[in-house]
Amino acid sequence: MSQRSQLLKGILEGCILSIIRMKPTYGYELSMKLQEFGLTDVSEGSIYPILLRLQKENLIIGEMVKSESGPKRKYYQLTREGEKALDSFIYHWESLKKPVDTIIRGGD
Amino acid sequence: MIAKDYIQLNNERRKKLNKENESLYLDMVVYIRTNANKSEQQTEEVLLELLDHLLKAQANGKTAKDVFGEDLKAYCDELIQEIPAEKTSNHVRFILFMILNLFAIITLFTGIGGYLLHLLFDIGSGSLTFPIGSGISIVILDLLLLTIWIIILLKWIKSSTFKEKKPNKWIEFLQLWLICTVYIGLSLAVLFLMPDFGTTVNLYYPVIIGLGLVLLVATILFNHKYRMTK
Repeated sequence: MSQRSQLLKGILEGCILSIIRMKPTYGYELSMKLQEFGLTDVSEGSIYPILLRLQKENLIIGEMVKSESGPKRKYYQLTREGEKALDSFIYHWESLKKPVDTIIRGGD
Repeated sequence: MIAKDYIQLNNERRKKLNKENESLYLDMVVYIRTNANKSEQQTEEVLLELLDHLLKAQANGKTAKDVFGEDLKAYCDELIQEIPAEKTSNHVRFILFMILNLFAIITLFTGIGGYLLHLLFDIGSGSLTFPIGSGISIVILDLLLLTIWIIILLKWIKSSTFKEKKPNKWIEFLQLWLICTVYIGLSLAVLFLMPDFGTTVNLYYPVIIGLGLVLLVATILFNHKYRMTK
């Protein structure tokens, strides 16, 4: 696996959890939101293996819901463990973001 | 909703794909479905999500490769790896259903066939005589052969996906013919080569027919309750 995808994997998981926390979301909508937020480098389909893994780890649950505008779709929402995992992701991300930024800019 | 409902939805919604996307998506479906040890429910749920996504992308002029990446096989492998294993209870249910089904067919055919041959042409004695030890061994070995055959068939189907060139129909037919012929040949070989051992049992054909009917009803009820085929 390339360095980029290694780095991206965990971060993408955190982003997906964040978006799902805002409101229950389905696959296509989720990938569009990621693109809207600027993660255009991520291929659209790459969310589905991650969604499967998050379900397996019991961080999210999917439910088929009849939507007002379209056909029956699988909407995801966070479980209690998912909330905790997201909180811990945010905590770790915050504590990493600044120091990493400073380091790669050469320490000033 | 259970897996069968998802399969039906998938069949309906798939009709809206264009030629290119349909061919690519079908390869993905076959490649992902032919993994016997994966949860059928999770498999069908994710297949439907991929289809819905592809349909929306298609409306924007995209193909399956734009959405899921150039290497569709690698993408599918990634998905398969994350699909949870099938529950043991579902495996047991499926195996039980197959055994019930198989027994119902075998006993009905043996019973009716033997009875008619005796009644109309005076062939046979009107009852089936066999040593119990051999009988049980034949059944177990044939079930084992059936399992191996199904696994090889699934592997063969899986390997037929994502081909750049359209494979030669005759070569595919010959391969399938070989797999099936070897299977049938081995099953019959077990039947004819099994030495006689164990107490001899004598069953009248009407009794076998009765047993077959009971098994048939059990199969139908089982199917109805657990929705094995529909």
